[in-house]
Amino acid sequence: MSEAAVRVSGLHKTVHVGFRRRPVEILKGVDLTVGPNDVYGLLGPNGAGKTTTVKVALGLMRPTSGSVELGVNGLSHVGYLPENPYFYDYLSGREFLGFCARLFSMDTAARRRRVDELLRDVSLEKAADAHLRKYSKGMLQRIGIAQALINDPQLVLLDEPMTGLDPVGRVEVKRIIEKLHERGKTVLFNSHILSDVHELCTRIAIMRDGIVVWEGAVAEAMQEAATLEDFFMRVVTT
Amino acid sequence: MNQVVAIAVNTFKETIRDRVLAVIVVFALLMIVGGIWLGSISLGQQGRMMQDFGLVAVTAFGLIVAVFVAAGLVHKEVEKRTVFVLFSKPVSRAAFITGKFIGLCGTMGLVLAGMGGFLFLLVWLVAGDLSGMILVAVLMIYVQLLAIIAVTIFFSTLGSAILASVLGICVFVAGQLSHNVLSLTRLGHNAVTGGLSWIVYVIIPNFSAVDVKAGVVGESTLAWSQIGLWTAYLLAYVVVVLALATLVFRRKEF
Repeated sequence: MSEAAVRVSGLHKTVHVGFRRRPVEILKGVDLTVGPNDVYGLLGPNGAGKTTTVKVALGLMRPTSGSVELGVNGLSHVGYLPENPYFYDYLSGREFLGFCARLFSMDTAARRRRVDELLRDVSLEKAADAHLRKYSKGMLQRIGIAQALINDPQLVLLDEPMTGLDPVGRVEVKRIIEKLHERGKTVLFNSHILSDVHELCTRIAIMRDGIVVWEGAVAEAMQEAATLEDFFMRVVTT
Repeated sequence: MNQVVAIAVNTFKETIRDRVLAVIVVFALLMIVGGIWLGSISLGQQGRMMQDFGLVAVTAFGLIVAVFVAAGLVHKEVEKRTVFVLFSKPVSRAAFITGKFIGLCGTMGLVLAGMGGFLFLLVWLVAGDLSGMILVAVLMIYVQLLAIIAVTIFFSTLGSAILASVLGICVFVAGQLSHNVLSLTRLGHNAVTGGLSWIVYVIIPNFSAVDVKAGVVGESTLAWSQIGLWTAYLLAYVVVVLALATLVFRRKEF
């Protein structure tokens, strides 16, 4: 891995909406740097540009200008959980993870081993052979995290990983993120749950209206306010 | 290559597990059975009527499956946002389009094999005709439908699933009449009309070059070399259309 796990420089993204193709600038020059082994929280109100930044980083959207450099060698070393994930409901959890493993050209033995391991990690062993259409929102979120980790990625991007989870599920996901950190992985996640961000993150960036308005260590933020919530409110409202 | 196979297998599972497909196949089989009644009211032509009617049923229901399933393949992935999961992994747009196509070809192969085999057995049991040409005809229908699947996937990368379905059916109908378009290019005294007709003739897959059904019921003779050339032409057509679909899909953002 190079110096930065993710380096976003001067990122602009304009989309054209409606019949008249009206231009809307979603990103207005985003700059941020995620270091190796960081657990990095990307915060901001709805519509700040967090998801778009992640999508551009993954190549799902093209930047209008600026650049995103990933410190890993291609998407083979990246894992991604989209926001409100929807998966193939005609597949069982096991089949779905097997399908994702195939996309990384894993051989049959490695595939089976990894699928079983992840099903255990996200506590879905009992529901492994049920179709995804029968999964609850929390179960879908957990299978989504499992698919993001199928290739044992060096860089993990999670878009709202705690959404829809019950307290037990949240603790499990937090443990997964902690374990990834312990194993030297880099995690970047978007979240609105500031207590989770405080607990898990080493660094954070706060976005507002398509730009990063604050970036730094969580410890730095905590020196300026009593709680992360207070700090966040001060940054996004001033 | 692994990605193509994975997507193809997944598409096969997706389409084969769709209950609507089972309903369509049941209807097709019922219609093929209906050919027995049609054959019984014809004078001494029972086998021929059953074959003719059965092949029309196989074509019509095969077309319904090809067009409506192909139109939803790409569109559903975009709409339900499963593309996020796919394209955040090392999956190229070309692998996605090719995998989707191959997966549906597998399903279509199974559906046509079932309908064709059923028709073959029915004609044999009811009319006593053991005609292998039925199976050849079903194979030729399959090749035609592969071209329609490719065309519909291409249209689905451009617009909505409904539009893709309608255009897919239009191309199928136009392909059956493509010899008429060729006649226009020869008849026309106007260079512009002639040129336009020629362009349309080249763009639309030529399904009328080999009249499979006429060959089966004995109205014309089918030469194997002719069938081989025609198949090769349609497969080349599929490759070109899928390449175009990939080019269009590459420009999409999600």
